[in-house]
Amino acid sequence: MPAANSTDEPILTVKDLNISFVSKYRDDRQVIRNVGFDIRPGEFVGLLGESGSGKSTLGNAILNLLTPTARVTSGELLYKGKDLFTIPAEDLRILRWSEISTVFQSSMASLNPVMTVRAQMEDVFSAHRGTSDAKREMTVEKSLDLVSIDHKYLDFYPHQLSGGMKQRIALAMSLLLSPDLIVFDEPTTGLDVVVQKSILSRLKALQADMKFAVLFISHDLGTVMEMADRVMIMYAGEVVENSPAGDALSGVAHPYTIGLLGSYADPRDAEINIRYIPGRPPSLDSVPVGCAFADRCGLATPECREPRIPTAEIDSLAGHRSIKCVLFGSENSDPLPERTIFDDVGQQIDVHHAAPGAGEVVCRVEDLNKTYSTRKGLKHTENHAVVDVGFELRKGSVTALVGQSGSGKTTIGRILTGVEKPSSGRVTVAGVDVGSLKRRALRNYRSKVQLIFQDPFQALNPASSVGYAISRPLVNHRKLRGSEVQEQVDRILGQVGLTPPSEYRDRLPHELSGGQRQRVVIARALAAQPEIIVADEPISMLDVSIRAEILQVLNELTRSNGIAMLYITHDLLSARLIADEILVLHEGKIVETGSTNEVLTNTRHDYTKLLLSSIPNPWQSRRIAPSLPTASSTSARA
Amino acid sequence: MTDVETLVPRETPPDRPAKTVKRRNGWQVVWSNGKARTGIVILALFVAVAVCAPVIAPFDPKNSTLPAGLQPGGAYLLGTTNLGQDIFSQLVYGAQVSLIVGLLAGVVVTMIALVIGLVAGLLQGVVDEILSFSINLALVVPALPLMVTIAAYSPVHGLSLIIFVIALTGWAWGARMKRAQVLLLRSQDFVTAARFSGDGLWRIVFRELVPNMVSLVVAGFMGAAIGAIGAEAGLSFLGLGDPTTVSWGSMSYWANSNGAMLTGQWAWLLAPGLALSLLITALTLINFGIDALSNPQLREE
Ligand SMILES: Nc1ncnc2c1ncn2[C@@H]1O[C@H](COP(=O)(O)OP(=O)(O)O)[C@@H](O)[C@H]1O
Ligand code: SF4
Ligand SMILES: [Mg+2]
Repeated sequence: MPAANSTDEPILTVKDLNISFVSKYRDDRQVIRNVGFDIRPGEFVGLLGESGSGKSTLGNAILNLLTPTARVTSGELLYKGKDLFTIPAEDLRILRWSEISTVFQSSMASLNPVMTVRAQMEDVFSAHRGTSDAKREMTVEKSLDLVSIDHKYLDFYPHQLSGGMKQRIALAMSLLLSPDLIVFDEPTTGLDVVVQKSILSRLKALQADMKFAVLFISHDLGTVMEMADRVMIMYAGEVVENSPAGDALSGVAHPYTIGLLGSYADPRDAEINIRYIPGRPPSLDSVPVGCAFADRCGLATPECREPRIPTAEIDSLAGHRSIKCVLFGSENSDPLPERTIFDDVGQQIDVHHAAPGAGEVVCRVEDLNKTYSTRKGLKHTENHAVVDVGFELRKGSVTALVGQSGSGKTTIGRILTGVEKPSSGRVTVAGVDVGSLKRRALRNYRSKVQLIFQDPFQALNPASSVGYAISRPLVNHRKLRGSEVQEQVDRILGQVGLTPPSEYRDRLPHELSGGQRQRVVIARALAAQPEIIVADEPISMLDVSIRAEILQVLNELTRSNGIAMLYITHDLLSARLIADEILVLHEGKIVETGSTNEVLTNTRHDYTKLLLSSIPNPWQSRRIAPSLPTASSTSARA
Repeated sequence: MTDVETLVPRETPPDRPAKTVKRRNGWQVVWSNGKARTGIVILALFVAVAVCAPVIAPFDPKNSTLPAGLQPGGAYLLGTTNLGQDIFSQLVYGAQVSLIVGLLAGVVVTMIALVIGLVAGLLQGVVDEILSFSINLALVVPALPLMVTIAAYSPVHGLSLIIFVIALTGWAWGARMKRAQVLLLRSQDFVTAARFSGDGLWRIVFRELVPNMVSLVVAGFMGAAIGAIGAEAGLSFLGLGDPTTVSWGSMSYWANSNGAMLTGQWAWLLAPGLALSLLITALTLINFGIDALSNPQLREE
């Protein structure tokens, strides 16, 4: 399966790399710990891990782009035999772009806003004139063809392009000088699923054709597993597994890999088994002795706390595997011991649905339309963001509003919460037309409707404590005072799993992880005791491994408190897990609606099918049964 | 496989509590910046000198009964003026004037800029348009000539006039920055969230917006103080200040108009200029640390 011939000399070799961040104010933090691997010509390697595991630091180290506070304490980084840590700066500058290029998530933002696309691309040429191999250079036009962008966009400025286009252009720029290695750091994070899918398939095709090697850094295991020849899984600064992608999916893998894979499933399956790994990675300030994963590993044994965890080197049919886990033994252990076949690691998320149509209707949306008119000079354009939308929200039940970005989901949420007025049609809650509410009435209405935001990093005031944020709805909407407020804050913190409350009450948002922040946001919404919650993409900014957990919290709390939830998402898998009913929105119109099962198993509209096919499903694309091996399915074992 | 299943945790262990982060307050961030620290030390020296002026200065700065026109040295450290005043004592008392002008003008300018910035940013429509127009107008009016004109034709001369003039010409820049910041902040999710939590306008302004503008406000204050100190010195040097106060600017004015350089009284001319530059440098250095407050990348880790 690997495109590369494994006998080729590696183009990149990382040996025993250790990197620390130094600070005057605290102990040095070792963020890369004894990392070693090879990348061979033409190989597509995925580097996966939760945020904070050290992926980007490793990627930046390869490009020698580390920040000044990072120290390479030991190790070597050889590119075609040259040590990148010691070669002169000028040689390195030449090497970048022409031999090794990059595409970052922020590439989108890093395009120069006052230069046209063409000018920026030509800059790359002029910076390397005479240094790169002219025969390998391609024209600016050719590079745009490769990423399927029309030439007319060459004369556009970055702000005139969508996020997806900018990222394609960043990809085109990285290809200009035909490099041998391209490092991608979360290149499609933040882009729409459908757009993401199309960029990645394009990348995969280009890579197969042009034979450059790829190091693809991502937190999204499902996406990478679909594309990569080999995957490296990072945990707390270590590469815990380095295996051919097919092998990693076989069910015989590092417990952490299996735990991460637990977040993926096909939403169309009759039975869905989504698992998550409870807890968070250790703080890099105090990585425990032994296996760093031991605190979260369901298979941990006392041996796992011993100082040195051996790395098993295993040859499989598809190539070579390195797995750092005691279960795999220390020396070359073929065949694998029987114990290494696990069928469940981590915690299963409960999927429970109310019967559609059950529960009292708390909100009725009828013939909703929203048209934005914009005027540019003499040109008057009308944008029909929402067209004839109607649905109902029911007590204790979750309705998912699914569609890609720009489909009008957020607009519907904003109208429902009274932030925006509809152009026509009405939203009725408790007999009142929300669109007609003014000032005081609107403020009262908001005690019944609460919002959960997409980005937990923006939804909390950086200057106010967690306790303050949760206390406001208690004081304003529920008119609690004094010690009652305190008690309720603690109780709600407990409900969202932030225990003990005393530990969290006085924290500022920057002292919490992304998942914890989102729990605070949920807590604040619950504090008002609302009848309706509008959750706009509440998990899309979170690490894949925390998503299931937050979804679980949302699911339980809305149901046990009898709240009606409008769950806005582009992700049908999460809708499958939480929603009773699904509304599929396309260009402002509802194109398909029905109970979750009906919509997913008996899909009628092409757009829903497109959304379904955009969900990463590593097993499906590799034709591997997701059900885990029993004695009969040990094919992956060498 | 059954033995494996029993090992799977069925309880959710709590998130490993993030290690209590050592919280650094704004002061610590500024202090940790080497440049700012230097600035703070120098500023502290100036403040000490200003406060202890009666102790430090050997003579009353206005006492003109000393031998006139002495060169530096001896009992009169920096010499005496041609009216027979002790230059060193004048220099020490001059620090009081500069610091008070800096402080008062800084406060006044910051308050005006903050109020106008908040109102313009919060209220849309006519009010914002009128205020934005005034801001832009105030920005295009050349401050220096206006200052000189007002100071020259005003019937009163004194510190209050100088502070008034500085406030009149200096508020617009800060107001514009603050308006922009309010516009940015008010569209943030956490402000929407406060609205959904039922908070009213005042609470949103003082709990959500203002705390996130601290570095802007402090930086604005420093900028205004620097401008005010410079402007006071400049106006006094041009002879447009209060002729009865002893400030660095007026010292330079008298030194210059009496041809101090020609009579060999170099300290009379140089000392106030140097003191002024040093104070302004100190404040500018502190500003570097304040930048680090709002931009963590500038923090010296
Ligand atoms: N304030 C606005 N002014 C003009 N157009 C808008 C505005 N808000 C949203 N739109 C447009 O409405 C459409 C739907 O947007 P949105 O509700 O944000 O969709 P989604 O949540 O699915 O991303 C888009 O075409 C978007 O450009
Ligand atoms: S070494 Fe032990 S704790 Fe670590 S992953 Fe393997 S079994 Fe789990
Ligand atoms: Mg949206």
